[in-house]
Amino acid sequence: MSRKSHFLQMKLNGKGANMLRKKMLRTFWLYKVQFISMILMVMLGIGMFTCFNIEWKSIEYNMFSLFKNSNYADYRLINSNGFSEEDLNNILDIKGVKNASRFITINADVNEKSGDTVAISITTNFDVSSFVLIDGEKYNKNSDDGIWLSDQYAKKNKISIGDSLYFTYNNIKLKGRVRGLIKAGEQMICVSDKTQIMPDFKSHGFAYISPALYEETLGFPYYPNINVLSNIDAKTFSKEADKALGNTNLIIPKEDTLSYSQAEGEVSEGKAMGSILPALFLLIALLTMISTMHRLTVKEKSQIGTLKALGFHDSKIVFHYTSLAFIISSLGSILGIALGYFLAWIIMNPKGMMGTYLDLPEWKLVSPWYCYPLIIIIIFTLTFIGYLSVRNMLKGTASEALSPYIPKKVKPMLIEKTKIFKLIPFGTRWNLRDIVRHKTRTAMSLVGIIGCTIITIASFGIKETMNDFLDVYYENGLNYSSKIYLSENASDDERFDIIKRYNGDYGASTNVKLKEKNVNLDIYNLENGKIQTIDKNSKQFKIKNDGAYICMRISEKFNLHEGDTFSISPYGGNEKFDMVVNGIFRSTSKNIIISDKYAQKLNIPYKIDSVYTDVKKGDIELSNNIKSVHSKKMIMDSFEVFLSIMNNMLYLYVAGALVLGIIVLYNLGTMSYVERYREMATLKVVGFRDNKIGKILYNQNLLISIMGIIIGIPLGILTLSSMLKSLASEYEMKMSIGIPSYLFTIILTLSMSLFVSGMIARKNRKIDMVEALKYQE
Amino acid sequence: MTEAEYKAIEFDNVSRIYKSGDHELKALDSINFKLDEGSFVVILGPSGAGKSTLLNLLGGLDSPTNGKIRVFGKDISTLDKNELADYRAETVGFIFQFYNLIPTLTVYENIALVDEISDNSLSADKMLEAVGLLDHINNFPSELSGGEQQRVSIARALAKNPKILLCDEPTGALDSETGVLILKHLKKLSKDYGKTIIIVTHNQNIAKMADIVMNVKNGRILSIDEQEIPLSPDEIEW
Repeated sequence: MSRKSHFLQMKLNGKGANMLRKKMLRTFWLYKVQFISMILMVMLGIGMFTCFNIEWKSIEYNMFSLFKNSNYADYRLINSNGFSEEDLNNILDIKGVKNASRFITINADVNEKSGDTVAISITTNFDVSSFVLIDGEKYNKNSDDGIWLSDQYAKKNKISIGDSLYFTYNNIKLKGRVRGLIKAGEQMICVSDKTQIMPDFKSHGFAYISPALYEETLGFPYYPNINVLSNIDAKTFSKEADKALGNTNLIIPKEDTLSYSQAEGEVSEGKAMGSILPALFLLIALLTMISTMHRLTVKEKSQIGTLKALGFHDSKIVFHYTSLAFIISSLGSILGIALGYFLAWIIMNPKGMMGTYLDLPEWKLVSPWYCYPLIIIIIFTLTFIGYLSVRNMLKGTASEALSPYIPKKVKPMLIEKTKIFKLIPFGTRWNLRDIVRHKTRTAMSLVGIIGCTIITIASFGIKETMNDFLDVYYENGLNYSSKIYLSENASDDERFDIIKRYNGDYGASTNVKLKEKNVNLDIYNLENGKIQTIDKNSKQFKIKNDGAYICMRISEKFNLHEGDTFSISPYGGNEKFDMVVNGIFRSTSKNIIISDKYAQKLNIPYKIDSVYTDVKKGDIELSNNIKSVHSKKMIMDSFEVFLSIMNNMLYLYVAGALVLGIIVLYNLGTMSYVERYREMATLKVVGFRDNKIGKILYNQNLLISIMGIIIGIPLGILTLSSMLKSLASEYEMKMSIGIPSYLFTIILTLSMSLFVSGMIARKNRKIDMVEALKYQE
Repeated sequence: MTEAEYKAIEFDNVSRIYKSGDHELKALDSINFKLDEGSFVVILGPSGAGKSTLLNLLGGLDSPTNGKIRVFGKDISTLDKNELADYRAETVGFIFQFYNLIPTLTVYENIALVDEISDNSLSADKMLEAVGLLDHINNFPSELSGGEQQRVSIARALAKNPKILLCDEPTGALDSETGVLILKHLKKLSKDYGKTIIIVTHNQNIAKMADIVMNVKNGRILSIDEQEIPLSPDEIEW
């Protein structure tokens, strides 16, 4: 290049750059609908992605932070006979054990509030399984009246520091004064019973008292747990603990505790949500970007050619148009990150959805490390798409770039060779050809509708499945009013006296080893039908006396099927009992159930520990033989919170799905309108009324919407089924989608599509026939 | 006034003013003229003279700011959007410089689409026969030459069986040979079917084949001249 031409180029580039910036702003304004749609799509994609990833990461971070600060135990040794000081020392002597404590949690009734229970924990070593003080006095292990109460329970029941509280446990009265308000890792998910899904701090809370107060009230030290902090693996620890204590002990690692496993469940749910849904949104954003950028550069082809003919370097033109893609993706990403944090905050705050489930002292929003690099990759990819689109238009010489873009020629479709095609009305034929001619645009609209249908049907489906689950298991499955927990020291005669007095069914729950793993064994006598057991098809069945029933999770984990035999061995002994699988059932907890007669036949030792009766909680007289009483109402009340959280989440999804559908369809509808502008103007000139043209546009969207719904519904069911599979470790739910769910999905999706069509169809009234037909395309 | 006393087309003090902010542009300024049915009219004038505006008003694509336009006795200047659409469907046919065919419809379908809006539409086959395109019935517009596309456009305009054909630079995008062919078709239609044909052009040679030549400039009619012996399209020097 000569000095002169170099100078000219510099000059052109300098001044041209200013003009190009002006042009860029005007291009933004000209294609505002497309640009805003793309920004919104990227924002939604990134927003969903960051929201769910922040959600699981924040749960993990804040959960571990609480576990660490409250010295959450790694292992729990359980022996109903209790552990002595010597046992504790033996465990502390195991190499690799960092610390240990004798521990007990008792469910006590609150005297001031009939029906309320509080889980009172006592730890002999505050450095293991303790709590985080939120307000009040520090823990004092020698306090003879101190109660450190859950701040949530205190708040819901208007209890303040300094207030006196009276509890009853095992007919023993315990009184004290609230010294501090706390949160504890052991009670991070504070439920009164394993059947309860959600915490309800109005009726159930937790507290810590000192060993001094506990032992003084009880009259003797009874600690059925030793909680241990240790890095040793579970197998080694089990072996070492058995050796140290001289018998087989039930050991529960932290992974199997309710708080830990439920929170981990939330984390893995968040991880699953953080990948499936955002991937769908991002895919649509990417496809929208590809088709919109392509159409935009096609529309700008003559301008690109003009710039090239004027002497602008390809790199300058490429930079100009690629900048548009970069600005769109960057702006969308920044807004998306903001949206993600906002949505994550809605879910993760003390008053938000998770706040009603997890009792955490800290609600810090934390993003996983890969979020930002991934967002940068997305911005780069979207910018690259912009680059490729303009590069394509710049191919060849300046005169080639100046020549208008020639779309592919229309080829007759196969259906046109049939006689039926001639019977199809003009509007439909026009639409069919337009669909075939603009395959990408049609495919994009289809993807939008399919995505919307999948999310909507899966959301309604999960709501219906969950309602069905609660109805089958709880509303219809639990036919008792109260569950009486019997005292450990009640004699067999005393237990049967209570069963007789309250005319109840009864059961015994114990932990046993199955292939070296800990599982629950529930032994029932359900002659009065107070609990209904549910088979795989969600039908009720009666427990027979010649075999065991295993839940679906145990069946899958241990590969056990009907007719198979398996052995179980209770903790604390060396006996083994062989059982036959009589059936597989759906359960809320991982358990095996057998009838008391089958247990007697096999000589399995058990102690009845609970009675299910129709007598109301308030009418049950507390005695030394009754540890505590829980009402079914308490369990059912907790579902209201659970259902309201779930519903809010689902409404969020459905709203997201509809927004997604509206953005995609509006963007593509506008593009379709722009591309068919001249054709519609021609129809108007020929004498077509606005309504008739509008009807043709409506029909095209309707056709695509119906196709999208037909494809989307089965895909939605598949998505729901895979979501239920990912929840299978927590709930054994049977998928249930009824006609209302299908109807709501179809109505919502169609309404959304028709709403967008209406907005687009209205535009045709504003077509300027004279201007539209003046120039050659 | 009886129907026989009507002129086919009457412009009575018609103005069309476009407003843009404070600025006003008089595209047509108090125009008056009358035309008989079956006339072959050419409107001549330079760019910006107002000839296309005149055609658009007559075609019902636009409405006048002032004045009355009567077509076969009916005042079209007061019609609403739907009535104007019906007027376009029943009374006028348009032929444009760039054909304006629907690219996704075949030649036959482009013509047959008028069946959707007109109860008196003529057979698409017959119209294609009239413009000599029966062999291209299943072709798409992109598979035809410019002249062929313009003939399809004429066939579509005719298929509605309109009383008036309005042609905006119908030969503007065509070579001389094809242009002559198109003009021949238009002249034949005027003669055989008694259609009123109005052509807007800046090509003075085309004016030589008209019964009436209207000269327009700056939104006003400069002259309306009748030609007793118009030339045939073949005699026109292009």
